[in-house]
Amino acid sequence: MSSSIRESFSEFWASNISKLGIVFLTVLVVVSIYTVTTLPLDFGVKYWYNPTYWVDYPKAAQPEWVNLFLSEKLMKHVELSTTKATGIKPYDDRFIKYYNVSYNHEYSQFPKFITLKISNLVFYDRNSPPIVRFYVTRPDGRTVELYTLAIETPSDNTTPPFKYFSTEPKRILLSGDMYLARSLVGFLYREFNLSLGTSSVLEVGNERIVFGRISGNNTFTPLTGKYVFSIVLVCRNVNDYVGMIDVVLGGYVYGLMGTDVLGRDLSQGLLFGFPVALIIGVGTSLLTTVIGAGLGIVGGYVGGFVDDVIQRFADIVNNIPLLPLLILLSFIFGGRLWLIILVLVFFNWPSLAIIVRSMVLSAKTSQFIEAAVAIGASRLRIMVKHIFPQVAPFILAQMIFFTPYAILAEAALSFLGLGDVSMPTWGQILEYGFKNGAVFLGYWWWILPPGLFIVYSAITFVFIALGMEPVVNPRLRRWR
Amino acid sequence: MGLGKTLAIKGLTLIAVLIGVLLFTVLIIGASGLSDRVLSSIMNEELRGIRQRLATQIRDPEELNRAIEGIRQDLIKAYGLDKPWYARIPGMVLRIITLDLGSAREVQTFTGSNKVSDIILERIPNTILLMTSALIINFAIGLFFGPRIALKHGTRIDRAVSLYSAVSYALPTWWLGMLMILFFSFQLRILPFGGMYSAPPPEDPFMRFLDLLWHVLLPLATLVLALSGSWIYITRSIVLSVSQEDFVNVARVKGLPEGLVRRRYIVRVAAPPILTNVMLGLAGSIAGAILTEIVFDWPGMGTLYYKAVMSVDESLILALTYVFTLIYVLARFVLEVLYVVLDPRVRL
Repeated sequence: MSSSIRESFSEFWASNISKLGIVFLTVLVVVSIYTVTTLPLDFGVKYWYNPTYWVDYPKAAQPEWVNLFLSEKLMKHVELSTTKATGIKPYDDRFIKYYNVSYNHEYSQFPKFITLKISNLVFYDRNSPPIVRFYVTRPDGRTVELYTLAIETPSDNTTPPFKYFSTEPKRILLSGDMYLARSLVGFLYREFNLSLGTSSVLEVGNERIVFGRISGNNTFTPLTGKYVFSIVLVCRNVNDYVGMIDVVLGGYVYGLMGTDVLGRDLSQGLLFGFPVALIIGVGTSLLTTVIGAGLGIVGGYVGGFVDDVIQRFADIVNNIPLLPLLILLSFIFGGRLWLIILVLVFFNWPSLAIIVRSMVLSAKTSQFIEAAVAIGASRLRIMVKHIFPQVAPFILAQMIFFTPYAILAEAALSFLGLGDVSMPTWGQILEYGFKNGAVFLGYWWWILPPGLFIVYSAITFVFIALGMEPVVNPRLRRWR
Repeated sequence: MGLGKTLAIKGLTLIAVLIGVLLFTVLIIGASGLSDRVLSSIMNEELRGIRQRLATQIRDPEELNRAIEGIRQDLIKAYGLDKPWYARIPGMVLRIITLDLGSAREVQTFTGSNKVSDIILERIPNTILLMTSALIINFAIGLFFGPRIALKHGTRIDRAVSLYSAVSYALPTWWLGMLMILFFSFQLRILPFGGMYSAPPPEDPFMRFLDLLWHVLLPLATLVLALSGSWIYITRSIVLSVSQEDFVNVARVKGLPEGLVRRRYIVRVAAPPILTNVMLGLAGSIAGAILTEIVFDWPGMGTLYYKAVMSVDESLILALTYVFTLIYVLARFVLEVLYVVLDPRVRL
């Protein structure tokens, strides 16, 4: 027995296509394990489908590596953060703490937006909460005052230390901000003797003036060089501090895979698609095979009434046009992964049962089965020990060949908006892209990778199944 | 078993399938409470309209409420909401079996009719135009290349085709469609993004035809590109397994000319299973390309069904499920009959 398994395996391993399939499968499994261990299991609910998590990400940004092919580089998304004060200075009866971050701008575009974030502000004096001021010093040495944040006095029933913005950071979107626009009006007049009203400043765009030099009549071109953002904390108690300060400069390219229109990092969603596809593919095909092969063997060997019932039922289910009912069922019962798997299993076991039954019928007549019956082996023993090994290779091949079908079916349902909404899948990413006109706007980075991954995971199993063909169907061997 | 009996059993099974699917659909829609919810929301909508109209005539609010309540009771009876959902089943199933398909709520034909039968009759030709021509092209490709490659089994060409068919099995047609749009419509701007005609469609019949061709090109190419691989592979496998049979070897050994061996011994035997695939593909294609139709915004049966499900249009869903199953089942039956004609072994 074991030698025949070894023989089959070497037969299988002999073809290049099965080697390729195994390599693909290994990658699939490794990436899935990596995903499950690094991303939280409630990633879908907690992050992917939670738009507030993605507000600081650039919307519909291309992957960073497109810059390799562009002569004019697109600005990378930047998030500058600091946790430590770079300096402290007494000032009258107060203290000033400096937090500095610097950034070298070398692109011919302006940032898409500028956002400031403060998390975890702690202070001790109830009567004089600190003031936070934001400045930026530009490459030309000029300084713009960006924002001043006054902290509210804490309510009476709290005790020091007072903690602000600890659960959710305070977020200041500077593009379109009135305060900054007014400050920029003064800045332009003072530094360049240029009179612009707040409305025309807002029309040009705050970020274009902060990051620009005047290049004509109310037009600005990006000023390249080193920008230093300094955040100044004016506080009464020397122990007051800010936990973290972030300066977000919205870019045009982001990460390995880019982002979608909500700013979601596509690489994370795509990564999560791996274990989901694997579970759907393997889970569905395993269940379908166990049920289909089990009922096929029982029906074929036991025969009689049991066989009739199974075959009639299989015949009926096998004659149903699948996709419309699949759509209806997923629509009514809502997208849940296990339900999608069950529906796929229900509609697909019969075809396997029918074939396995016919194979069992011919295996049943062989002499060693007769011998086993003559010795007095029980039906169950004969089915498990003697019939099953006869059809096992075929069943295994069917199972592997069915896996890509399940992966593709789930992707199709997801694409119709009927997928499991608690986790991102490749089909859902495509659906959201298609609904938001990614195809018509040319957001190729949103459309290409999910489909490629679907094809990749499906073709992995097709390759393995093709490699198994000569093992299952020995007649093909002599042709090689 | 006699031939008549075989066919009769097959026919009965298929009728059972038809009624089974219909009952199943009705049960699912009814038991999940969907039917009641949708019907009462339609009724409430209607009631609100009536209230608005009556409010201009009846000033006294109490009298108005009484009048509305009376109308509400009538409506509940008219919609059958006074009976549990399962009491509505027999009537519904009977009506659909007799092809009295009712009317849709939102979807209309271009001429404005909302009778389900009109809508389906308007959509079916569109689907047939796209899907059937794709199927015929794919079938022709499969029939042309399949046997030729089967006879060159193991060569480089054969392996290349196997790889192509493996890729096409793993390739979602709808995704390929999106790529095609991205490339030909967005990047190159040479083909339309979707639909069947330009808006407004050209007046001149010939120009109209050209416009249709221009629109059908991309979805058709997608379907051929995505599916022809499987067709070649299936034909190849069938021909290959037949050509390895002993009787083919015997024919060759006898010294029969190769052409004759191929025609009489291989193609004749391989024809029934190939035909099975064509028939099933044909029947399945009426419903099968829902996603491709959606991607290309093709006004066929697939998009219609999708719309019906999304707007929970009960009568449209039922009618379409029935029509899909009917077509499928009819094709299966024709297949059984054809099998008897083509394969004498079945007649034994």
